[in-house]
Amino acid sequence: MTEEIEQVAQRYARFTALGAAVIAAVWHIGYDLTVTIIGWTAFRWPWLTLAAWIAYSAIFVVALRSLTRTSRGPARILELALATLAIDVAVILSLRPGELLGISDWAWGSVGWIAVMLVWGRPRWRAELIVFLVANAGIMLAAMILTGTLDRVSISKYLVVIAGGITMQLGYTWGCRMLLSRAEDAVLLARRLAADDALRESAQRIHTDRLRRYAAIRDVAESLLQQLDDGADPGDPRVREDCTAGAMRLRRLITEREDVPDELVSALRARIEAAERRKVMVTAPPFGDYLPGLPDGVREDLLRAPIRALDGARSRARVTVSAMSTMVSVAVVADNDDLPIIATPVHEPSGVVVTYQRQGGEVWVNSIWQGP
Amino acid sequence: MGQQHLARPVTVALVEDHQVVVDGVRSWFGPSGLAPSPVELVAQGPTIESVLGTDADVLLLDLNLNGTMVIDRVAELCQGGQRVIVFSEHEEPETVRAVLDSGASAFIGKGRATRESCVETILEVAADRPSVTPPMAQAIATDERPHRPQLSDKERAALLFWFQSMSKASVAARMGIKERTVRQYIDRARVKYAAAGRPAPTKEKLLICAIQDGLIQPDEVTIYTSLAAKTPPDQG
Repeated sequence: MTEEIEQVAQRYARFTALGAAVIAAVWHIGYDLTVTIIGWTAFRWPWLTLAAWIAYSAIFVVALRSLTRTSRGPARILELALATLAIDVAVILSLRPGELLGISDWAWGSVGWIAVMLVWGRPRWRAELIVFLVANAGIMLAAMILTGTLDRVSISKYLVVIAGGITMQLGYTWGCRMLLSRAEDAVLLARRLAADDALRESAQRIHTDRLRRYAAIRDVAESLLQQLDDGADPGDPRVREDCTAGAMRLRRLITEREDVPDELVSALRARIEAAERRKVMVTAPPFGDYLPGLPDGVREDLLRAPIRALDGARSRARVTVSAMSTMVSVAVVADNDDLPIIATPVHEPSGVVVTYQRQGGEVWVNSIWQGP
Repeated sequence: MGQQHLARPVTVALVEDHQVVVDGVRSWFGPSGLAPSPVELVAQGPTIESVLGTDADVLLLDLNLNGTMVIDRVAELCQGGQRVIVFSEHEEPETVRAVLDSGASAFIGKGRATRESCVETILEVAADRPSVTPPMAQAIATDERPHRPQLSDKERAALLFWFQSMSKASVAARMGIKERTVRQYIDRARVKYAAAGRPAPTKEKLLICAIQDGLIQPDEVTIYTSLAAKTPPDQG
């Protein structure tokens, strides 16, 4: 669920950024190029206009590459913004007198879209875009003053184009930012809800596990006390053996952590409890909290041989787990008389190495996985 | 400096709040057959304060006293020159490393302790010789902290196998070396561990003794040189 929402937010960021590029491209090809070709004779220096159109296209490509890769404008935009404003000036200079604000004067209404692409996703996008648009409007106003184009019709044209351009360019950018902001809020909310769910599930599992352990501790203590209450002789070796086994189990249950155990630890605990039910005295130092993630098949290969040794223990067993960031070692020492011993280390396909050794009535089975 | 203890039993003070454990330890330290016990319990109490001032060679300390973990008290005891052996069921490697860093001489896990192993550890610690119990072996071998001492592959393997096997003899068989060499690897790892981290008088005694025994060379680690230059008080 969280992933889906994050994907939607990422798509919003990507496609709104590309939307700005599409508008700029359509405008630049559909309008700017058309009026440059159709009004070729209206220009004083048409080649300068064409060069300005090509320069605009080059800056567009730079901005588009950045938007495609990062959904953000280029890292350094000052030079690109000044070059874009220079295009504005070049087109004004290339016009014949009287053509200012005319249909062929394409640059001043168009460069704002390049600015939209340049400031896209930047932290100070609003201020940077406004500064650019004001500079663009200022250049045109200066040109009007210098050429004396200050009649009422020209001023009206100027105001209409400036108002329309600013409204569209600033409005599109602001609208998209709002959309993205809402999408990001949705992602944050989804993540928080997912974290809450995980916490609740984890707490539930810890609670269940704690109840299970308390029940086990109660059963062990109750059974021993009941035996003694029924008149069992504390000096009887069998009673003492039961008490020792019970004490060992109690100690292990008490020192077990309350965290949700790793799957490997869970599997071992289950087999230890099965062995204890068969009256096997099991010692198991705390297994530790930080077992590394294991590749497929490693856990099974680590557990197989030690669990076989534990399952066949006659009266006592010791289970240990050692772990580092790239190593896990599981071992069982038990008085297992029937386990077949393989003299040389067994190399499992998963990379786990299992060794066997028999000494003084006990078998030591040790499986080790070393990560890369 | 450890030889002085051979003439008389090693004296032990026990801090433990469970009477059943106190009784168990007391029975361990009683005479075994005709031979007198090499260890004598001279003081016992449920808090650290209750045994302070006792001139015992070794302090045997339970970490959980009346529900409170006293890990942070270990450093202050060791800074005062007291040899401390922690005796606890909290065998997690992080806990063992914490008490060793504080200067504790050894850590005995209650879950696997026997009379023989406990007495052996106490005698080694009283003689300022390296003692590595299985929980210590695991804690030292799996230490991945940035300032951990640099162990050789064989030292680390010997520690891990010692923690997970049944005996040092089985470790020797597994590694294809003599048992004496296994002990050497384990003891060298322990000494390297004592040389790392913050200094403590108890660690210094261990390092000086390791140099005297030829377990390490004074120039192997920088810190050893300065300590070797010192004249131990009972040699002077």
